[in-house]
Amino acid sequence: MGIVIDKSLCIGCGTCLGACGSGALEMTDEGFAAVNDQCVMCGMCVDACPVGAIELKKDVGDNDISAYHGIWVFAQQSEGEILPVAFELLGKGRELADSLGEALTAVCFGSNVKNPEKLIHAGADSVLLADDASLAFPMDLPYADLLTNLIHERKPAIVLYGATAFGRSMAPRVAATVGTGLTADCTILEIDEETKLLRQTRPAFGGNLMATIICPNTRPQMATVCLGVMPALEPNTARTGNIERLQIKPQQFDAVKLLNTISEITGDNIIDYDILVVAGKGVGSKENMKIVKRLAELLGGNYGVSRPLVDAGWAEYQHQIGQTGCSVSPKLLISVGVSGAIQHLSGIGGAQTVVAVNTDPDAPIFGVADYAIVGDCIEFMQEMIAQLEEK
Amino acid sequence: MQAELIKPMSEDFADYLRDESRSIGHAEHIAFPHSEEEIVAALRACYQQGEKITVQGARTGLAAAAVPYGGCIINMSRMNRVTAMRHENGTYYLTLQPGVVLSELKKMIGSKKFDTADWDEDAKQAYVDFCKDGEFFFSPDPTETSATIGGMVCCNASGARSYHYGATRPHIHRVRMALADGRIISAERGKGRANGYDAVFTCEDGSQVSAKVPSYRMPHTKNASGYYAEKDMELIDLLISSDGTLGVMTEIEVTLLPQPQIIWGVSLLFENEQSSLEFVDQMRRTVEGVASVEFFDTGALDVLREQKRKSTAFSALPVIEPFVTTVVYVELHCDTEEQAQQRLFAVGEAFTKAGGKEENSWVARNQSDLDRLMFFRHAVPESVNMLIDQRKQKDPTITKLGADMSVPNEHLFDVVKLYRATLKENNLESATWGHVGNNHLHVNVLPNNAEEYNRAKELFKTWAAKVTEMGGAVSAEHGVGKLKAAFLTIMYGEKHIDEMRALKRAFDPKWLLGVGNLFSEKEGI
Amino acid sequence: MKILVCVKQVPSTNEVRLDPVTKTIIRDGRQAVINPFDTYAIEEAVRLKEKHGGTVCAISMGIPATERLLRDAMARGVDQSILLTDRAFAGADTLATSYALSLGAKQVGDFDLIICGKMAVDGDTAQIGPELSAQLGIPYVTDVCEILESSEEKLRCKKITDHGFAEVEIKLPALITVSKDINMPRLPSISGVRFSLQAPFRVYTAAEVGADVNRCGLSGSPTQVVKSFTPDRTHQATHLNGTTSENADAVLKIFEEVR
Repeated sequence: MGIVIDKSLCIGCGTCLGACGSGALEMTDEGFAAVNDQCVMCGMCVDACPVGAIELKKDVGDNDISAYHGIWVFAQQSEGEILPVAFELLGKGRELADSLGEALTAVCFGSNVKNPEKLIHAGADSVLLADDASLAFPMDLPYADLLTNLIHERKPAIVLYGATAFGRSMAPRVAATVGTGLTADCTILEIDEETKLLRQTRPAFGGNLMATIICPNTRPQMATVCLGVMPALEPNTARTGNIERLQIKPQQFDAVKLLNTISEITGDNIIDYDILVVAGKGVGSKENMKIVKRLAELLGGNYGVSRPLVDAGWAEYQHQIGQTGCSVSPKLLISVGVSGAIQHLSGIGGAQTVVAVNTDPDAPIFGVADYAIVGDCIEFMQEMIAQLEEK
Repeated sequence: MQAELIKPMSEDFADYLRDESRSIGHAEHIAFPHSEEEIVAALRACYQQGEKITVQGARTGLAAAAVPYGGCIINMSRMNRVTAMRHENGTYYLTLQPGVVLSELKKMIGSKKFDTADWDEDAKQAYVDFCKDGEFFFSPDPTETSATIGGMVCCNASGARSYHYGATRPHIHRVRMALADGRIISAERGKGRANGYDAVFTCEDGSQVSAKVPSYRMPHTKNASGYYAEKDMELIDLLISSDGTLGVMTEIEVTLLPQPQIIWGVSLLFENEQSSLEFVDQMRRTVEGVASVEFFDTGALDVLREQKRKSTAFSALPVIEPFVTTVVYVELHCDTEEQAQQRLFAVGEAFTKAGGKEENSWVARNQSDLDRLMFFRHAVPESVNMLIDQRKQKDPTITKLGADMSVPNEHLFDVVKLYRATLKENNLESATWGHVGNNHLHVNVLPNNAEEYNRAKELFKTWAAKVTEMGGAVSAEHGVGKLKAAFLTIMYGEKHIDEMRALKRAFDPKWLLGVGNLFSEKEGI
Repeated sequence: MKILVCVKQVPSTNEVRLDPVTKTIIRDGRQAVINPFDTYAIEEAVRLKEKHGGTVCAISMGIPATERLLRDAMARGVDQSILLTDRAFAGADTLATSYALSLGAKQVGDFDLIICGKMAVDGDTAQIGPELSAQLGIPYVTDVCEILESSEEKLRCKKITDHGFAEVEIKLPALITVSKDINMPRLPSISGVRFSLQAPFRVYTAAEVGADVNRCGLSGSPTQVVKSFTPDRTHQATHLNGTTSENADAVLKIFEEVR
C-alpha cells in the first residue's frame, strides 16, 4: 500500500523529486527514484512521472456497491423558493444521468415549497419532497438525518449538493454518517467512460492546481458543486415526472435550536446588476476603493471584490465574489487588480464580457478575460472616471 | 525643446508639483523619459536653454527634494524595469532603472518572478541560478514602500532594519549618472577612490570631472545629511545621498543578501518611558542578531487608540491596554530556531531587568504575526496623518512637523530628555516613534493652530543645534531636500557649505540640478 | 469547561512556484503554519476558558513536526496538546481524518466543547468539523461568527447563513466551527513561549488510540486523487495595448455596446 515505484519503468529522470511537496522522494545509488517515510501519499508524483512508473496503491475493500443506482440532486430552498443552484445541478445531473443511463432525482426539503414541478422542468425525472413546518429553515441536524435515512433506504449512486454555506455544512455530516466520500467545491463533473465512476474535479492549493477525485468503493459518490459554474437547462414545461411527497415526520433535534434569523442581504444585491467593477488586492489600499466605487457608480453598476479585500476589511462581505461569496453573471464585468484565484474565477463564470486590468501579464484572470489590459488599474480607472465625467 | 519628450506643464500634471512633504512648487515643463537616451536628450535640451531640472521618483520624500522650484521636472516613473541580474561569487546583483518601486522590487525578489524577456544570456543564466538558489532580499526597508530605488539612493534612505544592515548606501554596487550637460559617468563599489580629498570621475566620452571632497567630519551616527565626505573615500559614495544635485541617475545596480533563516519579532509593553530607554541601552549591549529596534511613545499610542476606536481599518491591531505608555519592538534575525529562542529569552531578561513583565509582550514567530506587528508600526504614522488631516480642516496652514535627527548611543537619554523638556516648556502636543536602536526618533509635533506650528519650527532649529553638539545628524534618513537646508547649515557651518557648493559646481557649473536642495546657490539665500 | 481545539498544519502559502527550466514545483523553505482559521478557534477556546475556568487541549493529526505548531498553540493560551501521528494515518481524506480525530477526542474524554476552524486554507473543504461531529454523534453548528452567551450547559451563537445570519442555541457537549469574524487572536507573550517549551504534549500512535487501521489513512479514505494538473489558462483574450486614455476609451465603447 502507498506509493509504489516500478523499477522496470523508472528512467531515473528525477522529475518526481521536483514534484514532491514533502521531500519524500530520493534517487538511489542505482539511479531509481525511491520513496522515504516523509511521504504523505498526496499522489503528486504519480502525475509528474513521464513514464507512468509510479502508482498510488491501495487495498480495495469488498463493499457491495451494486445496489446503488441513480443520481440525486439536493435542491436547497429558502422560504419556499428553490435556489438557482438546484437548477444548475440538475442541468449537469441530466447530462451525467444520460451518460449512465440512469434516473435523475431532485430531493427537496422545506415547508410550503413553491412549484416543485420546476425541478422536473429543469431536468429531473422525479422529485422527492419532504414538506413539513419543521423543515422551513435549513438546519443541519434534521436535514442530514432525513437525507441519511433516505440514502440508506433508496441507495442512490451519486448525490450532488450546491456548495452553499448550508450545503457545505450539512453534506459532510451525511457523508460521515453514511461512511462515504465527499468532494468539496467541484467545478467539473464527468463520468469515466470505462469505469462509470464520477470524476470530480476541484481546485486545490488555492486554485493553483486542479485535482480529479474519484470515490470507487463506497456509495453514494458525493460532491458539493461550486455555484455558477454548471449551466442550468432552459426550463422545459412539457417535461413531466413524479413528485413524491414523503409521508414521514422529520425527527426533532432539540440540541440545536434556531432562535431567529437576520437577513442581511436585502434589496441592493450585486448579483442583480448588469455592470460590475470587481476589485482585487491590486487596487492597493482601502482608500482606493473610493475610485472603484466611483467608477461603478458612473457606469450605473455596482462593485464586487475578491476575498482578500473582505478579509482585510476594505469591503463588506456582501460584495464578495467567488466560491465563498456570491456568483455573478453581469453583462459587463470590469476586473481591476484581481489576480484571479480559481475560487474567485468560479464566481464570475457567468459574466458575458470580462475586461481585466492587472500589472502582472501572467495573472490567471487574463485566462478568463475577453479583453486584457496589462497595466496599472488605478491609472486606468481614473482615466475612465475622467472620460465619463466629461460626458 | 523636444516637444514630445518635454511637455509644457498643465493642470493634468498638478500632482507633480508636490510630494509627501505636502509642500507645493512650480515648474514650466515636465518629461517622463523611458530610457537613458531620453534622459540625456531632456538634460541637453534644458542645458541649452539654461532651464532648471528637478528629478522625481515616486514623490514619497518628506523633505521636498522632488518639489520643483521652477524649470523642468524629469519624472522617473516610466523607467521602472529590472534590466539584468548578475551572479558573482555567490552574490546576486540586480540592475534597476531608477523608477523601480521598492514594493514591486521586493515582490519580484520574494516570488523570484522577473520579466526576463529583454535580458541578455548572462542575465538569464544568473536568473536560472537564482531560481534554484535559496531565498534572498534587498535589505533597505523604508516604511514607505512605494518609494523608488532612485529616490532611495538620492537620500540614502533607511528603515527599521538599517540598525543591522545599514542604510541604502552599502547595498548599492554601481551607479550610472547623467550630468546636467548630458555626459555620463559611472561608479562601482570597490573600484575608484578619491586621492585624499581629490575626486576625479572619467566620463564615457573621455572627459573628466574633478572635484574636491568637503573636509568636514561626518557624525558617527545614522546620517542622510548632505554629501558623504571622507579622505580616500569610494567615488560611488559621493553620488549616493547627493539629493539630485550632482546628476540624474540612469541605472542602479543593487546587491541582494541571503534571507535570514529565522525572523522573529517581539513588542515589549512598558509602563514608563524611562525603563524603555534603559531596556534599549541594556539590550543592545547584550543581545545579538537584533535587526531593528523601534519605539512608540504615549503620544503615538494615544493617537492609535483613538483611531482604532473610530475606524474599522485598524481593527486588526492588538488591544493596547491602558497601562502601556511605551512600546519597543525588537526584530531578531537568526540562523536557527534554537538561536532565536535564546535571543528572545535574552530580550526577555533585559526587559525584566528594566522593570518590565514578560507577559506584557507580543511575540511574532511566523509571517502572519510579523505582518500584524508590521501593521501596528505602519498604523502609527497613518493614524497621525489622519489626525492632522482632521485638524487641517480647521486651519489649512498647519501640517505635521516631523524631526529626523539622530545622535550617538551615549546621548540617547540626553536627547529624549531634551525633546521631553522643550516640548513641555512650549506646551506642544506630539507623537514620537522611530528607530530608537539608532537613537533616531521621529518626534512629530501635532499643532492645533498656526501659532503652535511656527513655535514648533523654531524649536526644531534649537534641536538641530543641540543635536549637532551631541555629535548627531540633523537628518538621519529623510534627506535634507529643501525643507531641512537650514538645519544643514546649522550642522556644518557656512565654510563647509561652501565646500559643498564648490563640489556641486564641478558637476553642474550652470547650477541647474535640484536647485534649492541641501543649500542655496549663494550664502544666505 | 473542558475544550478541545482541532489544529491543522498547512503550508504558509498556496503559491505553487514552478522552476523556469524544468517546470516542476519548487519546494521552498517557507515554514508550515497553523491553519489561519484554527487560530481563531484557539483564541475562542482560550477566551471561554478564561471566562468559565477549565482547560483547553489542542489536537492534531499530522507528521511529527506538527509538534512545533502545537507548542505554538500552547504559547497562545492552550494548556496541553496531543498529536496523532502514525504511518497508518498517512494519505487520509476528510473521512479518515475525522475518524482519527474522534479517537483522539475520546482519549481526552468528557469534553464539553470542540472548536474547529471553519476550514483549512490548503484543502478548503470545511468538512472536518461536521464529519467529526458525526463520528462522535454530537450536535454541531458551523460558521459561528460570535458567541453571544455561554454557560457550562449551552452556547448561544450567531452563525453565518446563505442569506445573512442566524442565532442558534446549542446544548453541550457539542462542536462548533468558527469564522474569522469571531475574534482577533492574541499574540503569544515571552512567558507564553517559555511555558510552551515544557507544556504537556503527548504523541499517540494509531494503536494507542485503538484505531481500526482499515478506517485510517489511505485505506480508510473513500476518495482518491487520480489526477492533478495546472488549470488550463490558454483562453485567448484580446489585448488592449494602447495608452491609458486609449484603453479607457476602448472599454467605454464596449460598455456602450453591452448596455
